Amino acid sequence: MNKLERVPSQAAPDFASFVDYEQGLVDRRIFSDEAIYQTELERIFARAWNFMCHESQIKEPGDFFQNRIGDDRVVITRDKKGDVQVLLNSCRHRGNVICRAEQGRAKSFMCPYHGWNYGLDGKLVGVPGMKEFYRNDLNKDEWGLGKAAKVESYNGFVFATMDPDAPPLEEYLGDVGKVGLDIAARDGNIEVVNGVQKNRIGCNWKMAVDNLFDWYHPTVSHASAQRSGFFPQFEESLSHMDQMVMIGEYGHAIAGPLVKPENETTATPAQNRYGIQQLKAHPNIFPNLWITLQGDQLSLRLPNGPFETEIWWFTIFQKGIPEEERRLRLSMASHVFGPGGLLEQDDGENWAHSTRGTKGVASRRYPLHYAMGKGHDQMVGTPEGHMRAETVVNEHGQLWTYKSWAEWMDAESWADLKANHSPAPAGRI
Amino acid sequence: MRAAEDIPMGTLQDLDPQAHMLLQFDVERFLYDEAAALDDRRFIEWLDLLTEDIHYWMPIRRTVNANELDQEFTQIGDMSYFDDDKEMLKHRVARLDTGYAWAELPPSRTRHLITNVRLVGMDGDEIDVESNFHLYRSRLDTEEDSWFGKRCDRLRRVDGQLKICRRHIFLDQTVLLSTNLSSLF
Ligand code: FES
Ligand SMILES: [Fe+2]
Repeated sequence: MNKLERVPSQAAPDFASFVDYEQGLVDRRIFSDEAIYQTELERIFARAWNFMCHESQIKEPGDFFQNRIGDDRVVITRDKKGDVQVLLNSCRHRGNVICRAEQGRAKSFMCPYHGWNYGLDGKLVGVPGMKEFYRNDLNKDEWGLGKAAKVESYNGFVFATMDPDAPPLEEYLGDVGKVGLDIAARDGNIEVVNGVQKNRIGCNWKMAVDNLFDWYHPTVSHASAQRSGFFPQFEESLSHMDQMVMIGEYGHAIAGPLVKPENETTATPAQNRYGIQQLKAHPNIFPNLWITLQGDQLSLRLPNGPFETEIWWFTIFQKGIPEEERRLRLSMASHVFGPGGLLEQDDGENWAHSTRGTKGVASRRYPLHYAMGKGHDQMVGTPEGHMRAETVVNEHGQLWTYKSWAEWMDAESWADLKANHSPAPAGRI
Repeated sequence: MRAAEDIPMGTLQDLDPQAHMLLQFDVERFLYDEAAALDDRRFIEWLDLLTEDIHYWMPIRRTVNANELDQEFTQIGDMSYFDDDKEMLKHRVARLDTGYAWAELPPSRTRHLITNVRLVGMDGDEIDVESNFHLYRSRLDTEEDSWFGKRCDRLRRVDGQLKICRRHIFLDQTVLLSTNLSSLF
């Protein structure tokens, strides 16, 4: 009998009991239980550093871009001083939305309900009827918009956390969290291409995250890419690739094909730094930011209830790349990933029905299997000073994500999480 | 189909009302036949209705403020949902026959409703046509998608037959409410 079968159906929140790391088993309820989802919003999304946008999307004062942190809608602005602000998109008067556009440029945000007007830094600057109705008995300084507790950028990628006790962004990311962002940033001279793809999939957000580490599925899920002639060497290119896994504190992980420096010739400094000639492996910045192959695209997986995820695709290019290369990379981006991508269009339904498969009373008695490679691999130091396992296709990345998930969910606070999270494993995994 | 020499050439303004009507009739019949090919899953036949130089494109639409409507859609050279040439469309169609195109297995049921067909320009043997569409997809037992929007097509007469040499698709949704875009528009 495995550990999960002993979990009573009305378990008190003891989230470690939902993930059996040693046996590589995950309880299906974490994908479809409404109460667990609400706890995720509190203990993961309102606590973590969440990806907001890239600074190139809000270059000038007044530029704004909307995003979400769990159920909290936020507006990321560049204020008059040039600082980046992450403001709750909810009026302090009755809670109405103060910014309805997805992006754009504004001088201020006037609430369309009664007209409270907020500056780009969130300060309440105008209140209709201040004198006549409020009799000047309202302290505007105290009624500015709610804000993220902390906003920081790494390589121009803006992150925000709602928890004042969160560690600094760089500490949070650690080595493993930085790899993908360093490679995506290249020499720093990058910008997000105009146009963020957005679509909704009827899956739990973790099913989407889980899949980015999954190098087991492509030869089946994406077999049409090969057989349609779109990517004729697809299967061959996967089967001959060594795999690597990097695992970081707080749930960050990287998994996928390893292209070693000696096999390739065109290296960027970031790639050399990590001893990864081409990033073919996929990093996830916990909880929900996937950086794709070679860092051309970021995929953000926004939870929208236990049974829905909104997928956002950001495409990043170096400024001033030759027109021909830009055209190639652009078509690659829309032809591979996104809802119309020849590969990704086959993913969504699998994630949705995997999620659906966690609802049934009887189905829930059977934990999901995440044990591929468990106990068979060894974390070793690279000459560049990083720990990684070099191996074959495996499920270490997924299992680490769920182990970390349980630690986030059991922690009462950032202090608790800092004190009680697992260190990145060394030795056998 | 009528012989090529019967079909009017020039610009729309050159057409007398009767010629305009006949052209409208031809174009509508062509678009309805095309929609039938898609809904009947005659995808190889559908490919034959496209010229070799077709540009099949669907930009990203955003909710923007009224003073920034010029930025509502992404432009060519920005990110999009589709930016396909004929080769890519052939891959999309070939995919469906591989037995591994999971988004369309078992095959979805689609219905293309094409309305509000308007001739908006003509230049020599090319005609610009705008139409509205409702593409309905019924999938598996209970899944449904509805995409509404506008298509801006450029049709060209090739050996007397109309073919599509440009299809630009403008959806009304900003956040797409569908799992994927595995249908053809
Ligand atoms: S709700 Fe915003 S002004 Fe009243
Ligand atoms: Fe996939």
